Amino acid sequence: MDEQRTHARRATEPRRSLAVGAVIGAAVMAAIDEIVFHQILHWHHFYDRSSDGVALLSDGLLHTAELLALVAGFVLFADLRRRDALSPAHARAGLLLGLGAFQLFDGIVDHKLLRLHQIRYGVDVTPYDWAWNLAGLALLLVGAALSVRAARRGPRTP
Amino acid sequence: MTTGHPPPLGPQAALVCVLAGVAYTLAAGRLRRRGDGWPRRRDATFGTGLALLLWGWCGPLPGGPFTEHSARHLLVGMAAPVLLVLARPLTLTLRTLPPGGPRRTLLRVAHSRPAGWLLLPPLAAVLHIGGTWALYRTGLMSLTHHHPPLDVLVHLHMVAAGLLFGFAVCRLDPVRGPRSLPLRAGTLLLAGAAHAVLAKGLYAAGPPGTKFAAGDLHTGAQLMYYGGDAVELLLAAALAVQWYAATGRRYARAAARAGHGAGPRVQRPQA
Repeated sequence: MDEQRTHARRATEPRRSLAVGAVIGAAVMAAIDEIVFHQILHWHHFYDRSSDGVALLSDGLLHTAELLALVAGFVLFADLRRRDALSPAHARAGLLLGLGAFQLFDGIVDHKLLRLHQIRYGVDVTPYDWAWNLAGLALLLVGAALSVRAARRGPRTP
Repeated sequence: MTTGHPPPLGPQAALVCVLAGVAYTLAAGRLRRRGDGWPRRRDATFGTGLALLLWGWCGPLPGGPFTEHSARHLLVGMAAPVLLVLARPLTLTLRTLPPGGPRRTLLRVAHSRPAGWLLLPPLAAVLHIGGTWALYRTGLMSLTHHHPPLDVLVHLHMVAAGLLFGFAVCRLDPVRGPRSLPLRAGTLLLAGAAHAVLAKGLYAAGPPGTKFAAGDLHTGAQLMYYGGDAVELLLAAALAVQWYAATGRRYARAAARAGHGAGPRVQRPQA
């Protein structure tokens, strides 16, 4: 493993670049969701009285995981850079994929399937749901298109 | 706005902090004089940790009673211990003590089996976060209001458990047994989640047997929540930097073995 890594020292690592970008993207979108909607707009509150203990625990886990993922993502990114193994095109594609995947997962699984929380209370959530999910889908599609383009150009894109 | 609730610890605690600071500075100075490297930022980290500890133990803090308590909890149990641990006090002590008696005893304690158990990250997390849960979710906090010695004991436990948790997660000092990065990061994740859940719960309902104004409770809980984030980020960064440095050394070794860019350790003069 060490030997392989030594030989591949100057080659870029597209898959890893994509994965690291995706980790940062998912963490950033989780942070945006939490900072904008929980803390600034107060659409769902600091303590959401409609959620039970399990939902509260899942919220705590999500919040902590998002912070740790940000730190881990950036240190992995720094590691790729110092080894000249970063493929910027793949990392960009991964970033958008991560952003979109988190948003769509939150919109469909958390909001609709598990019903952990809704975007907003006391109003018709349909327009909010469409806006949130379509924006997530758009990010995901742009990310997919970028990753296809990065793959076509080959791993040695400067 | 004063609350009439006196700080839990007085001049003795201040003396302990000052003595610890002087001891650390003298020891670090001694290492540097004899030519050993000991980065100055470690002195600064240790000094900052002691200052926060002193503030949390003795200083005046703004806000209502619960906010004040929460700020002390944050300073004494979380921020100060992490900074003290990052300054590697055990390493410094071991390197300053002359070989023999006390040094050997200290090393034996650090490497002993009980220390190994205590420094197992999940157990240290249970002692640390579990203690906090016990304080806020049982009648313990209301008891401390009526029994000042118990209050002192709680504050001492806070700093001890915080130090233990810091040692267990960071492992910068020579303590028993390597613990894998996933174990330490996973422990940090669960401990952080448990802390966030506790802080959010306090926002809704205060500790049993206590009566705090709603505004005071909310401010205190928010302080605990966001303060917890800051400390968690600090610990996560400490782990990330360790991983970064360790992989860097591994790459350098691998490169040296492969024959390009040989590191200093490899370029020994051929006898």
